[in-house]
Amino acid sequence: MTQPIVAIRNVCLDYGGFRALDGVSLDVNVGSRIVICGPSGSGKSTLLRCVNGLEPFQSGEVFVDGVGVRTCKDLPKLRLGVGMVFQHFELYPHLSVLDNVTLAPMKAKGLSRREAEEKARHYLDRVGILDQADKFPARLSGGQQQRAAIARALTLEPKVMMFDEPTSALDPEMIGEVLKVMRDLARDGMTMLVVTHEMGFAREVADEIVFMDKGRIVEHSGVSAFFAAPKTARAREFLDRILLKI
Amino acid sequence: MRYEFRWGMLLEQPYFTWIVDAIATTLHLALLSWILALAIGIAVGVMRNTPSRALRFAGALYVEIFRNVPLLLQLFLWLYVFPELLPKHWQLYWNRLDDAPYWTAVIGLSLFTAARIAEQIRSAILAIPPGQFKAALSTGLTPFQMYRYVIVPYAVRIIIPAITSEFLTIFKNTALALTIGVAEISSVARKIEAWSFKGIEAYTVASATYVCTTIAVIVLMGWVEKRAYIPGLIKREKSDA
Ligand SMILES: Nc1ncnc2c1ncn2[C@@H]1O[C@H](COP(=O)(O)OP(=O)(O)OP(=O)(O)O)[C@@H](O)[C@H]1O
Ligand SMILES: [Mg+2]
Repeated sequence: MTQPIVAIRNVCLDYGGFRALDGVSLDVNVGSRIVICGPSGSGKSTLLRCVNGLEPFQSGEVFVDGVGVRTCKDLPKLRLGVGMVFQHFELYPHLSVLDNVTLAPMKAKGLSRREAEEKARHYLDRVGILDQADKFPARLSGGQQQRAAIARALTLEPKVMMFDEPTSALDPEMIGEVLKVMRDLARDGMTMLVVTHEMGFAREVADEIVFMDKGRIVEHSGVSAFFAAPKTARAREFLDRILLKI
Repeated sequence: MRYEFRWGMLLEQPYFTWIVDAIATTLHLALLSWILALAIGIAVGVMRNTPSRALRFAGALYVEIFRNVPLLLQLFLWLYVFPELLPKHWQLYWNRLDDAPYWTAVIGLSLFTAARIAEQIRSAILAIPPGQFKAALSTGLTPFQMYRYVIVPYAVRIIIPAITSEFLTIFKNTALALTIGVAEISSVARKIEAWSFKGIEAYTVASATYVCTTIAVIVLMGWVEKRAYIPGLIKREKSDA
């Protein structure tokens, strides 16, 4: 049996007395698609940030491909293996879309400009915005910006992709185009850890659902089991609220 | 006795050479100091936002000292006190240097202005959405690369107007260099008055130099600002707030 690509082991994180993560453990196996949901403030974003060492935590450990985040001496290298997509895209506004995508391959991975641009164009094409490569991010629609951000992460050819509410800052008509890119990624076998409230996407694409509340994982089950009958009352309540809103 | 204007004397020697040299000195003194101030100011401004307490403290100390001691006093300190603190053989070298006052003025002006630019950079960095830092790090950039390629270019674009006004300030502050013996345009105007008793003409040239250069800089930086304009940069700042 292969080891999980991300292994979260009993992670606890305090923000000055406030417990944002309270003993979270989760295995992400190669090729699996895990959707994390839960009410606002339950620690979903914080958990993702712990995985690539953006947020220091007090106890427990996260292993990425066998390397411990807390003891890691070379975090930049570890992060190359973990793509991250943010709610607000976070493209660099002063760089063209192409430069946004080639920056890290050139500076962090040491590719030549030619190699980096070749890869960048490949992934921009894959997310369907190759024709926008020379524009500044602000000239793109929200959906296009998020797809550019996905291309920026993909160009580093990470082993796992993390998405933090990638569609919740988008107008409804643009959500579909981003979800389609993510669906395609899943079909190609990408390992994905997705925080989202898009339950349609979760039902269709995910194989596991994690429900978090107050810094804990309160439910972790297969997709069909989760949607058929959430085990906990909290998850049932949450699901009802989410589904009714849609 | 009535004052007799004699504008033509400005074109006579030695005055003409003095004036041309002095204008040149004023311009490159200002330009060199401004470039150094920009480099130091960016470094200190970044230091003030790092996680390291020691660096933050050092940065804050620098800013408070250099911003709050009057520039005139700083120039005197650099000219008279600083050489005394140097090791003996450096001191000899410094004293033999012909342009010691010029270099003293460069040091004084650039360190003073750097403190002001550092403050601008610091607040510009605070205005950058935190997600930008996270995004840059998440792609495997080192913290240094993150500042070098993402944060500083972003911050500098936010403060281009402030950088322009710092150049104009440094340019006017070069006049203080006359107190330590630099032959910039104000001091030469004074010298011409002493030699020829034609003060009005001389000071008019000096004033015209400042005004013309200021206008030229404003036009130039307006052009730079347009070139460096990034759609969405300032707007995003506002909409996020
Ligand atoms: N830097 C911080 N300092 C202090 N508290 C923080 C910090 N970041 C997050 N928190 C707190 O930690 C808790 C978890 O935050 P987190 O952003 O992970 O929640 P979330 O599940 O992603 O919520 P949302 O759905 O709103 O994005 C929240 O209560 C939040 O207020
Ligand atoms: Mg969140």
